[in-house]
Amino acid sequence: MKLEFTVNGKNVSLEVPPDRRLLDILREDLGLTGTKEGCGEGECGACTVLLDRRAVHSCLTVAAQLPGREVVTIEGLSDCGEMSDLQRAFVEETAIQCGYCTTGMVMSARALLYENPNPTEEEIRIALAGNICRCSGYTQIIRAVKRAAAEERGEAERD
Amino acid sequence: MKIVGSSRPIHDAKAKVTGSVRYAGDFDLPGMLYAAVIFSQIPHGYVTKVNVDRAMEVGGVVEILHCFNTTDRPYNRFRTMKGQKTLEQDRIFQRHVRYVGDRVGCVLAETPQAAREAAALVEVTYDPLPFATTVSEVLEGKIDCIHSEGAVFGEVELAFGKEPEMRPDTVETVTETFLPRLTHMTMETHCCVASWDRAMEQLTVWSPNQSVYGIRTVLAELFDLPYEKVRVVKTTMGGSFGAKQEWVLEPVTAAAALRTGRPVKLVYNRAECMVSTISRGPIHAKFVTKITPQGKIQSMGADVILDSGAYVGNACDYIQALASKFFRCYSYPFAHYTGRAVCTNTPMSGAYRGWSAPEMYTMMEHNLNMAARRLHMDPLELRLRNVALPGEVDRKTGLSLGEIRIRECLLLGREKFFWEKRKKENRAFNAGQTRFRRGIAVGCAGHVNGYYPRFPDYAGVSMRVNESSGIQVLATLHDHGCGTVTAMKMIVSEVLDLPLEKIQISEGDTAVTPHDVGCFASRSTYVIGRALFDCSEKLRDELLEACGRWQNTDSSELWVKDGEIRFSDGRAVSYGDVALWMLREEQKELWVNHQSQSQSNPGVTGAHFAGVEVDTCTGMVKLLDYLAVHDIGQAINREMCVAQIQGAVAMGSGAALSEHMDTNPKNGKTTATMKDYHVRNTPDFLNVRVELIEDGGTQGPFGAKSIGEACYVPVAAAVAGAVNDALDSDLSSFPLTPDAIVDLMIKREQHEA
Repeated sequence: MKLEFTVNGKNVSLEVPPDRRLLDILREDLGLTGTKEGCGEGECGACTVLLDRRAVHSCLTVAAQLPGREVVTIEGLSDCGEMSDLQRAFVEETAIQCGYCTTGMVMSARALLYENPNPTEEEIRIALAGNICRCSGYTQIIRAVKRAAAEERGEAERD
Repeated sequence: MKIVGSSRPIHDAKAKVTGSVRYAGDFDLPGMLYAAVIFSQIPHGYVTKVNVDRAMEVGGVVEILHCFNTTDRPYNRFRTMKGQKTLEQDRIFQRHVRYVGDRVGCVLAETPQAAREAAALVEVTYDPLPFATTVSEVLEGKIDCIHSEGAVFGEVELAFGKEPEMRPDTVETVTETFLPRLTHMTMETHCCVASWDRAMEQLTVWSPNQSVYGIRTVLAELFDLPYEKVRVVKTTMGGSFGAKQEWVLEPVTAAAALRTGRPVKLVYNRAECMVSTISRGPIHAKFVTKITPQGKIQSMGADVILDSGAYVGNACDYIQALASKFFRCYSYPFAHYTGRAVCTNTPMSGAYRGWSAPEMYTMMEHNLNMAARRLHMDPLELRLRNVALPGEVDRKTGLSLGEIRIRECLLLGREKFFWEKRKKENRAFNAGQTRFRRGIAVGCAGHVNGYYPRFPDYAGVSMRVNESSGIQVLATLHDHGCGTVTAMKMIVSEVLDLPLEKIQISEGDTAVTPHDVGCFASRSTYVIGRALFDCSEKLRDELLEACGRWQNTDSSELWVKDGEIRFSDGRAVSYGDVALWMLREEQKELWVNHQSQSQSNPGVTGAHFAGVEVDTCTGMVKLLDYLAVHDIGQAINREMCVAQIQGAVAMGSGAALSEHMDTNPKNGKTTATMKDYHVRNTPDFLNVRVELIEDGGTQGPFGAKSIGEACYVPVAAAVAGAVNDALDSDLSSFPLTPDAIVDLMIKREQHEA
């Protein structure tokens, strides 16, 4: 099929089989390797991207679902190498270890903050429930999301 | 201190959070082929034929390697040094397959999709043999033919210390523990890229691994290559926990590159990673303690059977390693140990975070909890009466435990966890209703800081100063993703009083960095960190002396501060200026080498406190509170230590409550999906509290001790102990799943009826 959609704000046109996974389109066809495959079955969240501003597993999303829609990957969050507030919060709160879950985790957090700019800790935990981190106990990740939310609201995080 | 003890992000945090960092699976080399492995579909038998006709018809398929057209030279995936005594049973592809998931061959194609499609079309014909998925079947003699040496390996009987004469009132407690197969579940699956430059006769292998030199020794001898013609480069690692300590994909990928002369990439999917790499082998153990009525341990004993899976791998060493953990936390006169490893037609066992210590302390701590009940003694008090004190000796090694602080961990934890108050509150809570049960427990553990004295342990590093005052360090690091590189930078930064950003440290690359056995055995900070500390001091002295020669000043009147060399008259010059002067005037680079040998291995311990609530109707266990107290000597990168400890609690509570891989006894297939292997996610988990005891006193850099493995050791014991306290039970068949708990409740009801 001919697939036309936008990736990180740019129009993309590709000839792909309709069942080609979004994950493979991003990584292999477009060279956007920031999106990772951890399980291929929607269990780990490493492949999370935004589809029309909502978090989806790119391993469970196929080309046929994409025409005319807007995909944002981790590469689309930073501006010319400058990290977004959310990304900076992950770095500065030491919320990154091996990093393999990080990009998916950030995208899930991004979707949450679009929908709910002032989430409670419980709401953050639920929003990130589909993203597995095997290195940490999630404490620094949750702190980073709280901090980014506060910064985006123009407040200092008081936790 | 300016920087040691502060909190810094991992060195490549920005690259990771923006998605620009390249893991091996992200590599894209010109002309690269993609590999997909053909796995045995039967648990035991001989491959009689491999028919590749249909597979070769798939568009883009270039070559198919298999057990009849590839070297069948045996090797051991766990070897890290030439001459190491290991049993060589691994082969790149097996004609005698021993489990569902054993490698038979691999397809090389122009796309990953073509490689996988073709791999599924390769027709393998087998001559099946009887198979056994349990140790008991093997011990009945069902598969004595699994290896030419039989099915039982590494039988060992050891005794340490002198058994005291037991008084008649000594309390003997016998417990049994079963630990299931675990997978590491690193978020990055196993992957490897290899290339063979025919003109230069140079093999290059890139993989996330824990020992570039270990891989080199195996590949060089497997393919008859001189060591200098094998370059192994460690890539950014998306987690290991021991999973990437053994060489699983590297021999396959190297064989494929050598055959085709093109770069080859092999990436395992999750199912392949779970079944066909390595796992923590199941253990069945009997544990015995003899304790006086006053609560003094007189002896401990363990009888252990390790299910090593289809091949021995590291199992002969692993079964011995269990015995190394008897005296890392408690002091008592005598221990007796018997063990053996048994091969079954199941996935291979291998390295796993803690390398036998978590298994040992899970069974030991469960036994002590049961003993405390029989002694009518508070379990924390029982531990306080037996923990090793500073300067006491590890009876296994004869070496001092140095500045061990397990007693302090227990006392601090008792206070911060509100141990006595919680006991009372839980009693009141449990008396007030019948459905929910609350309990608490403490789990203690001890671990190591490197190999010494079991094996020689050493590290070599070199450091150079460049013209812009940067320090370029060569050290063979293998950052697992836990911040080793940053911690090492912090050590150098502290000694040289230089900003962290000015220090560049390499990771393992056999063409560039010094020989090193690898980053495991909790040796990175203690052993390599110490070498870096000493080398930094040497470099500082060299800088001062060179500056003295340049400025005709006595170097003893110079000192370093804020990245500069200061003079008593107020002047200052940069490190780069001194380096440049040396280059120009002395025609020498400011370059220092240092090698050191480890001479100590102090006790490194932790006491973990868990509080749980068990729903006796559903069997669900909720963690209410968790406090980890660690005897760390000195935290180098504080928040990264805390994050690692919290991560260990997530991983260990999974081992206690939900994680297990099972092999179906009817068809030999093993759990191969995350849907059936439950690790902790955010709603399952809580904010783990961490307390660090930091009073240094060790030969580690700034008095540091290890942490990454030590913090995993006591977790399952603490969580299971709290469940058993809540239910007044003696559950010790892991994991303590809701099903197991509900079964217990039903049995109790039936018994009462």
